[in-house]
Amino acid sequence: MATPLLSLRGITKRFGGVIANRDVSFDVQAGELVGLIGPNGAGKSTLFEIITGFYAPDAGDVRLDGQRLTGLSPDRVSRLGVGRTFQKLRPFAGLTVVENVMVGALQKCHEVRRARQEALEILSRVGLDEKTNAHARTLSTGQRKRLELARALATRPRVLLLDEVTGGVDQRSIPGLIDLVRELHTAGLTLLVIEHNMRVITAVSQRIVALHLGQVIADGPPAAVTSDPRVIEAYLGQVYV
Amino acid sequence: MSAVAPAAVFFAVAGLVPLVVRDAFFLDGLVLILIWGSSAAAWNVAGGYAGQVSLGHSAFFGLGAYAAALLGTRWGLSPWLGLVGGAVVATIVGLVIGYLSNRLRGPYFVLATIAFSQVLLIVGSRWRGFTSGSEGIPVPFRPGFWTLGIADKRVWVWIVLALAVVVYLVELYLDRSRRGYQLAAVREDEDAALSLGVPARWLKVAAICVSAALTAACGALWAQYVGFVDPLYVFSVDLSVRFALAAIIGGLGGALGPFLGAVLITTLETYLRATFGGIGAGFVGIYLIIYGSALILVVRFVPQGLTGWIAARFVRRTA
Repeated sequence: MATPLLSLRGITKRFGGVIANRDVSFDVQAGELVGLIGPNGAGKSTLFEIITGFYAPDAGDVRLDGQRLTGLSPDRVSRLGVGRTFQKLRPFAGLTVVENVMVGALQKCHEVRRARQEALEILSRVGLDEKTNAHARTLSTGQRKRLELARALATRPRVLLLDEVTGGVDQRSIPGLIDLVRELHTAGLTLLVIEHNMRVITAVSQRIVALHLGQVIADGPPAAVTSDPRVIEAYLGQVYV
Repeated sequence: MSAVAPAAVFFAVAGLVPLVVRDAFFLDGLVLILIWGSSAAAWNVAGGYAGQVSLGHSAFFGLGAYAAALLGTRWGLSPWLGLVGGAVVATIVGLVIGYLSNRLRGPYFVLATIAFSQVLLIVGSRWRGFTSGSEGIPVPFRPGFWTLGIADKRVWVWIVLALAVVVYLVELYLDRSRRGYQLAAVREDEDAALSLGVPARWLKVAAICVSAALTAACGALWAQYVGFVDPLYVFSVDLSVRFALAAIIGGLGGALGPFLGAVLITTLETYLRATFGGIGAGFVGIYLIIYGSALILVVRFVPQGLTGWIAARFVRRTA
């Protein structure tokens, strides 16, 4: 098989006595849409922070197309082609919607006017074209999710990491967001998606990686992973605790 | 994004006034307004655009003032060289403060900047052998443009106007350029900016250095204009607060804001000094009370500053 686009090898991260990630290894191939699941505290978000350079792992390696990302600063990682959204949304509240996306577009495009054009195109792609000149702080949660997505897309990432696309969004907005993720994948984007909502993740993913207590407990097609006894136990265990 | 037209009018009027008005008191006020406006705008590059609020910018102003004064009195060099030298030294000090800005956030950064200006205050007032200590340095008047010994206040208006326009253009660049947008992103949310590939640390340091260099240039011209450098004044927290205040009252968002803030503050201060000041007057410090009240009122009622307030009214009327 060709070099995976994103590859994690033996990632371990401790916070004091707590082990957030323990020897996590898996690959994401170019063009794949991989779901990352696991109960609260399984270490999904920590893993995202490590891939994107916000945390340094205690052990292990992250590679993008064979190039080592571990030890690089978050802005370098982004410039090499890893885009991300945040679970706790972080819009540039004082800037307008189009300006938010322009900041992303300006990473590769050095001309402000062209970056604005690119930003407007991306905004219409994510369905925010009505809001371009509104201040980001006036958007609803669903719209903010779309804005984060647009901003990250504008950097033209090789792989996009989405942290809880549907989390905190009202029920009616969920199908639209899922369709959007699917469209991006169909258009050829490689995605690694954290999602709590099991129904959502099994519907969109080609492959699912399940984490529990910081470790990979299952990795495979959605149907196989969701019927894996260890995955069921991990989730049920959470319910009973 | 701020419109250029009001700024063009503002600077044009300032440049044309000396052709009509000969009154020395008025021209003196105009020179000071332009110097304080430029200083506030220079502060705004770090405090407004980069979101790195400093209350120690008098450090840079004082370095510029001392550079011009010392180069002139000790080595007989031109204050223009002092201006450049002061800007270089301020840039180096700016690197240190910039480094701190990547370590300290919010109030801790503000406190560090105050401390920095106070360290320089102590150096300036104690290092008698070099700086003449707290007596200060009288800047000799050597006639000529190269030595900046200019008696004609009209010429001074044009010199400081040139500096004001330079600082304004730097702000305008930050309003419109790629680096400006990236810096705004860092100010709004540094982690989100990093995630989009913005070199946040580097940009903050660069903004602080530019701000420092421009502030030092203001200090150098001020020293040459006023003719006396007093460490207790040029390194004072008072002065730092004045820069920040003018920028905040004028409006951090717009490039012209700090200049409008300086117009308001300088005229207010001159008026209050003339009315309540004087030897033996009981109201010597009243302008500080009025400063404070003005700040509270602005932050409470027009947090976007004068320019933001004017823009909002204008937009509402035309909408």
